[in-house]
Amino acid sequence: MKPFFPTFDYTDVFIAPWATTNDFIWNGQIILMGFLVSLSCGLIGTFIVLRKLALMGDAISHSILPGLVAGIIIFQSKAIVPMFIGACFAGLFCSFCIEWLQTKTPLKPDAALGLTFTSFFALGVLAVSQMGHHIHIDAECLLYGEIGMIPLLENISVGSVSFGPYPIGIMVIISIIIILMLIIFYRQLLVTSFDQALSISLGFPLKKIHYALMTLLALTIVSAFEAVGVILVVAMLVFPSTTASFFFTRIPAILIFTFPLSIIYSVGGFFLARWMDCSIAGAMVVVAVLCFLSAWIITARMNFFSNLLPSKN
Amino acid sequence: MNHIQVPLEIHDLTISYSKRPVLYGIDLTINEGSLVGVIGPNGAGKSTLIKSIMGVTKPDGGWIKIFGQSGKRAYRRISYVPQREMVDWDFPVSVMDVVLMGRYGHVGWFKRIRPKDRTVAKECLEKVNMLPFADRQIGKLSGGQQQRVFLARALAQESDLYLMDEPFSGVDAMTENSIVNLLQELRSSGKTIVVVHHDLSNAKEYFEELVLLNMRLIAHGKTKDVFTKDLLQKTYGGKLTILSEIADQSVKNSVN
Amino acid sequence: MKKYVCLGVILLFILITQFLHAQEIHQSSDLYDKTIQFFSFKEKSVRVVITGIVLMGCGCGLMGGFVVTRKLSLFGDTLSHAVLPGVAVGFIWSQSKNSVGIIIGAMIAGFIGVFLISLIRKTTRIHLDSALGLVLSGLYAIGICLLTRIQKLDYGNQSGIDHYLFGQIAGLSSADTMIIGLSTILTALFILILYKEMLITGFDQAFASSIGLPIDLLQYILWTLLAFTVITSLQIVGIILVSALLIIPAATSSLITQRMGSLLICSALFGIIAGLSGCYLSFLGNHLPTGPLIVLSSTSIFLFVLFLNPKNGVLFEKLNFMKNKQKVLIENTLKAIYQELEKKDFTQDQISLNELAKRRRRSVAEVQKETDILVKKEYIHIFKKKSPKLPGESTICLTPSGWSEACRIVRNHRLWELYLTNQAQYAPDHVHEDAEKIEHILGNETVRQIEKILSNPRKDPHGKLIPSQFDIDRGYINLNSK
Repeated sequence: MKPFFPTFDYTDVFIAPWATTNDFIWNGQIILMGFLVSLSCGLIGTFIVLRKLALMGDAISHSILPGLVAGIIIFQSKAIVPMFIGACFAGLFCSFCIEWLQTKTPLKPDAALGLTFTSFFALGVLAVSQMGHHIHIDAECLLYGEIGMIPLLENISVGSVSFGPYPIGIMVIISIIIILMLIIFYRQLLVTSFDQALSISLGFPLKKIHYALMTLLALTIVSAFEAVGVILVVAMLVFPSTTASFFFTRIPAILIFTFPLSIIYSVGGFFLARWMDCSIAGAMVVVAVLCFLSAWIITARMNFFSNLLPSKN
Repeated sequence: MNHIQVPLEIHDLTISYSKRPVLYGIDLTINEGSLVGVIGPNGAGKSTLIKSIMGVTKPDGGWIKIFGQSGKRAYRRISYVPQREMVDWDFPVSVMDVVLMGRYGHVGWFKRIRPKDRTVAKECLEKVNMLPFADRQIGKLSGGQQQRVFLARALAQESDLYLMDEPFSGVDAMTENSIVNLLQELRSSGKTIVVVHHDLSNAKEYFEELVLLNMRLIAHGKTKDVFTKDLLQKTYGGKLTILSEIADQSVKNSVN
Repeated sequence: MKKYVCLGVILLFILITQFLHAQEIHQSSDLYDKTIQFFSFKEKSVRVVITGIVLMGCGCGLMGGFVVTRKLSLFGDTLSHAVLPGVAVGFIWSQSKNSVGIIIGAMIAGFIGVFLISLIRKTTRIHLDSALGLVLSGLYAIGICLLTRIQKLDYGNQSGIDHYLFGQIAGLSSADTMIIGLSTILTALFILILYKEMLITGFDQAFASSIGLPIDLLQYILWTLLAFTVITSLQIVGIILVSALLIIPAATSSLITQRMGSLLICSALFGIIAGLSGCYLSFLGNHLPTGPLIVLSSTSIFLFVLFLNPKNGVLFEKLNFMKNKQKVLIENTLKAIYQELEKKDFTQDQISLNELAKRRRRSVAEVQKETDILVKKEYIHIFKKKSPKLPGESTICLTPSGWSEACRIVRNHRLWELYLTNQAQYAPDHVHEDAEKIEHILGNETVRQIEKILSNPRKDPHGKLIPSQFDIDRGYINLNSK
């Protein structure tokens, strides 16, 4: 009977993954994907957290499931593009339904949210079970991703040069889009998140910006879910900015801090999973949890000590 | 249509929240260079009035014109100082960040913030004695300091119509003085200021012009004329119960 | 009474639609056999499953009543994700799939989750929704790591991870059913014994503590029962869908009733029906997972109630809107007829369609449509002229019921105008439009009140006569008699 916590073998965990070139590429791709998922979710997640939409993110990530299946059925193809389109539509449709229920019916807002995304998800599970094994979505992949399988997937190639598995390619594009959007539209995002009245005063279109953000969120979630699954995506959205806000009090600093955090999550998660022989995505989030706890404890102690000092005005 | 554009003109404004009327048939004209206080009991619709002028709340009936215009072009001419309770003080922005937001309207969507904007922001902070706190996160300020930050932002916008929602509530004496001085200064330079005020005891002192509001416009005019026992009783006294019940019913049944 | 009839109709409708839907899934001959098999409770396994599901539906519905009304819907969701590490640890410790160990582990994990949420909110500036997201995904991730680790080990009878995530009805034993039953019974007892206390604490915490209720204790008991309900339901519907069953039946009931007692009963009922239909459909089909079918059944019930609920269903609101519009139209037309008659000082008792059209500022054709409605309601008679080419020449006169109705409307309108100008400082030019809206809904009692305040006036702000009850009863107005 193997022990629950395997013995920690330094060589096996830290050295072996890089032994051969193939291994190097394989594992490197895994870590790269983890980094990209963490980064893009963390960046867009900063504004999601500021706008108090964390649970909307949770809802969208659950609701994409029926969309994936619908995409396959409607376009009669198992390629990624139909699934992608279907999933995005489902996510956006879900957010639209939630908002309709919240505003046009006597339902309480949290009940409307919970009701909608669980129904979507149930529909999705039913649809997936009916499709049998025609699609390569299975329960595990859905719920905690198969980031370890990413290197196995088809590569994107231009001519005879192959750039790597397509999920990484998609993730790179999404990350670039997010970074560009954040730079170009930073002021608009800032003001619409902080002060509705000022947004109207300045002529910033509140609704359009909201829907644009939701669309970008849906795209990000759909791109990331294959790696980390629907529930851990939520972790990637909320952990980076909440951890960063223990140390930083301005948004640009929080956004920049997402970069080193993403490196820590992906590398740390990889090695943790290597040692424990468990889900890599799960391990990444466990690392995120540890970072969060450390930040929490450190600032609590700092506050404790600073409260002992003579108070300044 | 050949009249001077007044800063604020409201006609037959009616607003209800989830089928309960909050404002009913409001007619109001404010002239340029006025410093007007809006008083009334809690729930009288004062904040709603301000929010509807701002465009945050859409009216169910009637219209509002700002300098003769309505819609997006109108809103740009307003500076708004919100109620302190309505602000998210945990938001990770510094004092300077908030005041700079007031300059965004002058900068345009895609251009960078210019040195001139920073200078204006600093001057406005200086005017409210908040420059030393420029880099502090807004949650780490006292009540009076928080109020002054938003005043500075309103100043930085360099608008012609200022709307303030209970700026005097819960501030220290020093802040109160500086706000009053600021308002007088603004008024002398020809700006128009409408202030929702919560405290009857000093309303007479601060404002030469008053609006008495309780779901309906009870009175509007010079303080010495409208600050009378009779009108105040009408505003705060609650005698218009049938009116509010019926207004209630009518909105409930109205074709919407 | 009406409410219960509606409920009955809803139930019947749902059963029928489910039955029809089931027919799509399977062949009809098989369907009949299988239905009999299902409902005859002959097979023990079927009996066990149905009992378990019915109990679970009832328990979740009852619990859901509190969850939804106290705005804890997303807490339920978080709780159901947070128990995962507890399940894993419990499994490792007891080394078997079904055991008390798992339940205890899950309960502990659930409590840790709730504790963490309140701790985060107390000591940091993180908002509630983010705190829920952190705890939900964080604990879930720990659970996933543990479970994927367990999969790699050689434990004898491993639980497939999807059993906890999606529910596995096939493995439901009598023991499991008994535990579910225990949870439901405890919840029901709790509600029966502490109903009043829960009502007060849900409504006004400050008041509750001021009268000495132990709100913290009640809160802990509620959380414990919630955790227990969630954990026992996991086996049937799985982690992700448990919160659906907590929210949806109760949300559906909240559309129908606002009173806590009937809300709880309706939620339990909806929960049971959803459970039964889900179970039944899954029984008929092949490879159909029960959990999602139960959730989708409850969603269909919700949608049905949302749109077709007589009180405030979306469809009914539209119908009411139409009805109101017509009522307003009728009353405005009657008023116009009165005003035309008044213009002639009541010397004639007929007016022409042309005159009516002018006053209504409409075309004769439009006015004809309005008068047709009035004829149907027996408010007017129309006398057509001999030459049909000139329809405007036709005249109308009011019937006795038309007359009293017209007087009533005009009286309301003018009283209201007077009230507004005198009491509410209304500008005279506004008065007319508003009174137009109000007059259609003034009740008799309010009219009396207004008459009293205004000291039974005879003239409105424009100097026109306000018809009194006497004028109405008499059937005509004699302007010269004053």
